[in-house]
Amino acid sequence: MHLNKYSELLERLESEEFEQVELGAEVYQQLLAIYLYQNKLANAKLLWMRIPAKLKEDKELVQLNLLNQALQNNNYADFFKHIKYEWSERVKSPVEDLLIKQRGELFRLMGSAYVSIYQHNLMELSLMSEEELKKAYVVLNWTEELDGERVILKPKVQESTPSRANDDQLLKLTEFVTFLEN
Amino acid sequence: MGSALENYVNQVRTLSASGSYRELAEELPESLSLLARNWSILDNVLETLDMQQHSLGVLYVLLAKLHSASTANPEPVQLIQLMRDFVQRNNAEQLRYAVCAFYETCHLFTEFVVQKNLSILGIRILSRAIDQIRQLDTQLTPIHADLCLLSLKAKNFSVVLPYLDTDITDISTVAAECKTQQQQQSQHTVDANNDAKYFLLYYYYGGMIYTAVKSYERALYFFEVCITTPAMAMSHIMLEAYKKFLMVSLIVEGKIAYIPKNTQVIGRFMKPMANHYHDLVNVYANSSSEELRIIILKYSEAFTRDNNMGLAKQVATSLYKRNIQRLTKTFLTLSLSDVASRVQLSSAVEAERYILNMIKSGEIYASINQKDGMVLFKDDPEKYNSPDMFLNVQTNITQVLDQVKQINKMEEEIILNPLYVKKALGSQDDDLTSQHPKTFSGDPTD
Repeated sequence: MHLNKYSELLERLESEEFEQVELGAEVYQQLLAIYLYQNKLANAKLLWMRIPAKLKEDKELVQLNLLNQALQNNNYADFFKHIKYEWSERVKSPVEDLLIKQRGELFRLMGSAYVSIYQHNLMELSLMSEEELKKAYVVLNWTEELDGERVILKPKVQESTPSRANDDQLLKLTEFVTFLEN
Repeated sequence: MGSALENYVNQVRTLSASGSYRELAEELPESLSLLARNWSILDNVLETLDMQQHSLGVLYVLLAKLHSASTANPEPVQLIQLMRDFVQRNNAEQLRYAVCAFYETCHLFTEFVVQKNLSILGIRILSRAIDQIRQLDTQLTPIHADLCLLSLKAKNFSVVLPYLDTDITDISTVAAECKTQQQQQSQHTVDANNDAKYFLLYYYYGGMIYTAVKSYERALYFFEVCITTPAMAMSHIMLEAYKKFLMVSLIVEGKIAYIPKNTQVIGRFMKPMANHYHDLVNVYANSSSEELRIIILKYSEAFTRDNNMGLAKQVATSLYKRNIQRLTKTFLTLSLSDVASRVQLSSAVEAERYILNMIKSGEIYASINQKDGMVLFKDDPEKYNSPDMFLNVQTNITQVLDQVKQINKMEEEIILNPLYVKKALGSQDDDLTSQHPKTFSGDPTD
């Protein structure tokens, strides 16, 4: 999944905003959804501020803005709560992508930030059922232990995948080596 | 009246056809009042002119239209469309003869769209206008400030940010443009006086835009340029920038950022007028979130009046974070409730939330153990051996080298500037002549 998946659409929407008056709610809905997906939170916040007041009653926009606020405050529980909504066709695809991305993000963050976390806490954060959660963390090789009655999870630190060196870098490195050899 | 306008059209047509743009540019300002008086039939004039061939003529008609906007009350969308057509189709070569008039048109246009609450429609137009009129990509024009203003008003920064990201090496001012065109200074003196205003506004607005998108370091730089501009008197733009500078420097550095010594204006005029803000800085230095909260509450009226309340809240959050960061330097492990009490947060849960957010944004390195409610602080895991870091270092080095090159180039330009040479040599001559009498006056005693 690429970050520029929606860039063409985004470009079109942005230029519409620059050149027309009295835009409908659809343009703003799509813009907001894409900004959220691309993690451009500052843009999303500003977009909400500039949406004309009379459009702010649009249900879908309000719902999107709830997501926006949850992301601004890093509030995962709220985010997963508000994303359960009947999204219209226009924004469905970016919102679904956003959900997958945020799930991944959540588990990556938990993996790096926690040595141990109670299962019920994580269930609360991610709003997943026990089985769903289990499926997700088994893939990541997390282990579980019992602490009295409650299940506690031990995340495993994920090795960050080294980004592959591109040709340009290799060229630079070769230059260095030849310089040192001579 | 009609015949006078006909004369205008004829004058534009003949002079444009013969390519005497300079002559045309010198004569057109005189017709401005005539055009403005006849605002009702300017559209007829426009029909007889071609934007590409008679750019100068159209420019002055536009200027007249904008000048008379308050009385004529034109249809906003129509006028914006006209301006959009003009910046897309005009002949930039002709505009070079009337740069000042073009700037003025842009300023008035900005005023117009802001007044009509249609700022967002003006953004692309001004960006196109800048691209047309600037001679270098790194040149600052007075239009930049207008573009920033519109972006702030419309709360849309996607167009303006690339302009702000470019480092400025050259400034185009009305005063300088008038000199190169040898126009009569008098008709543009008002504008020339505004050169400083537009320069300061650009950096002030730019700082605000960067603050809004949370690029605090860049914002700090913009405010610094604004407040350290050499000046004899203080501008209110500088004062407001100074207030924001103080707040942003708390967020970035936790103290007042370094200010170059050559700015007496700050000490003399600005400090006494920004008392509340200096109090805030002093309290911040005590690292007590409780005290900071109280002082923000105490001065909330002043902060709200200055539209700095949001920034004040950011300052408060930054202190919590800074205090947590400080803990990582002293402790290896700490319980969450201890963290909460040490940084004066209300509960362990809140402390956990802060720490989680800071881990996410890479401000601290730690891991939380929910089993025994402890947090384990770690060192920065960066070992400077990854290809990513290599790339990072590489790009930084290239940037620095480019900057050195740029500085050398600019220095060379100054050294070769005849005016500079004359002055540098001239002052030496002065020294020599002033020394001579002394040596001679000493002579008779021999």
